Amino acid sequence: MLCVLFCTASSWADVVVVVSARSSVTRLSADNVTKIFLGKKNTYPGGGNAIPVDQLEGSVTREEFYLKVVSKSASQLAAYWAKVIFTGDGYPPRLVEGNIAVKRFVAANPDAIGYIDKSNVDSSVRVVLEP
Amino acid sequence: MKVKYSLSVFCMIAAWLSVAEAATQAVSDSSVNEGLINRSEPTLFTLGGFGTLGVSHSSQSLGDYILDSTLPKGAGRSSSWSMGNDSRIGAQLTANPTSTVSMVLQIISEYQSDNTYHPEIEWANVKYAFSPNTYIRAGRIALPTFLNSDSRKVGYSYPWIHPPVDLYRVVSITNSDGVDANYRFEIGEAGNTIKILNGKNTIKRPTSISTSEDMWGVFDTIDYGAALFRIGYQKRNASSYSLLTGITGAWVPNIDLSVGGSYDPGNWFVMSEWIQRKSTTKLSAMYLSAGVRLDKFTPYVTYSNNGRGSFLPGFPPPTVASVLSASRSQSTFTTGMRWDFRKNTDLKLQYDNVKLSDNSNGYLANLPANTVLFGTRLHVISAVVDFVF
Repeated sequence: MLCVLFCTASSWADVVVVVSARSSVTRLSADNVTKIFLGKKNTYPGGGNAIPVDQLEGSVTREEFYLKVVSKSASQLAAYWAKVIFTGDGYPPRLVEGNIAVKRFVAANPDAIGYIDKSNVDSSVRVVLEP
Repeated sequence: MKVKYSLSVFCMIAAWLSVAEAATQAVSDSSVNEGLINRSEPTLFTLGGFGTLGVSHSSQSLGDYILDSTLPKGAGRSSSWSMGNDSRIGAQLTANPTSTVSMVLQIISEYQSDNTYHPEIEWANVKYAFSPNTYIRAGRIALPTFLNSDSRKVGYSYPWIHPPVDLYRVVSITNSDGVDANYRFEIGEAGNTIKILNGKNTIKRPTSISTSEDMWGVFDTIDYGAALFRIGYQKRNASSYSLLTGITGAWVPNIDLSVGGSYDPGNWFVMSEWIQRKSTTKLSAMYLSAGVRLDKFTPYVTYSNNGRGSFLPGFPPPTVASVLSASRSQSTFTTGMRWDFRKNTDLKLQYDNVKLSDNSNGYLANLPANTVLFGTRLHVISAVVDFVF
């Protein structure tokens, strides 16, 4: 079991959390990011609305982000959202498909926060967490 | 009061349906935008559902093993295998007409006291949110007696087949017609959430209908990373109408004090709760549960117990029936496993070893007269498939 996890982990690329280059947010803790992506907060620590965007279920970048930053597997995350949705407390982040589309969405929206593979980072976005 | 609350729930549903109508058009236009699939706030309307298909079997054929006092029959005497304990299906419609106002309507079909699966309105409320965790609500809302109260009926949201029975059966009421307010603030990385609730409830049991008026609750939850601690206090005046005798009982103040905590860093979890309930008697119940998450498998163990009630001074002399009822006590050792075998679906298997106390038949139901099973054990096996859609 451990070997399977390890081997999968080693084949991952590096995920980074990004905001728009126009955003005033410069740095976020894993705890800040976790709260925003689990819908527990909708603002940044220094103020300003936070709009998280998720990649599609099954994407490698998504799996890596949730395991490394939020400490939840895909099925744990699904159970978490079942609890939140059916208590009327909220909904998961909107979905955007692929690293490039997420980068463009975040770059164009100063409130947005997303996660992409490090190789896709350019000057339009700012890395706020490297887990 | 009764008319007022019924009307408020009715208005809620009416308001709800009118928003639904107006929104239908907008949804079709806004759901897809440049490859962006909206599932969050911008979607005006969201329909979802959850369900559990379950079966349980008990080794004790003289009485029924039931999870809750609202159930008329269970596994054991009425039938060797029973689907009533865990099976249910629920649908939830949510509307977000503005970024701060939302409405939720949840309807659940499950085994009822009258031996049917008639759908009931579990929630119908309007929420005004200042932030995700600071809001006020009005209508039919969840009564958060326990740590898992809000999602007690959504099997997919927790590891067990059902929340530990010995504790959760202490308060069968799951909702309140009235108002609540939720306020959250943060100190560093810790969060504190205070909820205050006021409302009323009517609950049907096989041989009685219980009404609770002037329900008040105060609940405080502290979260710090993977740790959660919760304390709750609620009081209400309750009266029971007997369907057998046609007699309405006196109003009795009920006070529940509950404490719960959990630690869930991801790969494993531990959770525990305790409650003390005071009405004409005082009793307490607890459980301690732990599990590990191994890829798609979550094996868990739980110990729970429910102590006998002691009569409190100041009430009329207890009857034979009430003495028997108060003497019920049992403990359970549970082991089981959740398997997330496909997307949005799990399969769970569970074994319960239930020990009836030395001077009661525990919570076994539908026993023939003069049956004495004091101090005996029963073995219960259950299997469920949970799903969300």
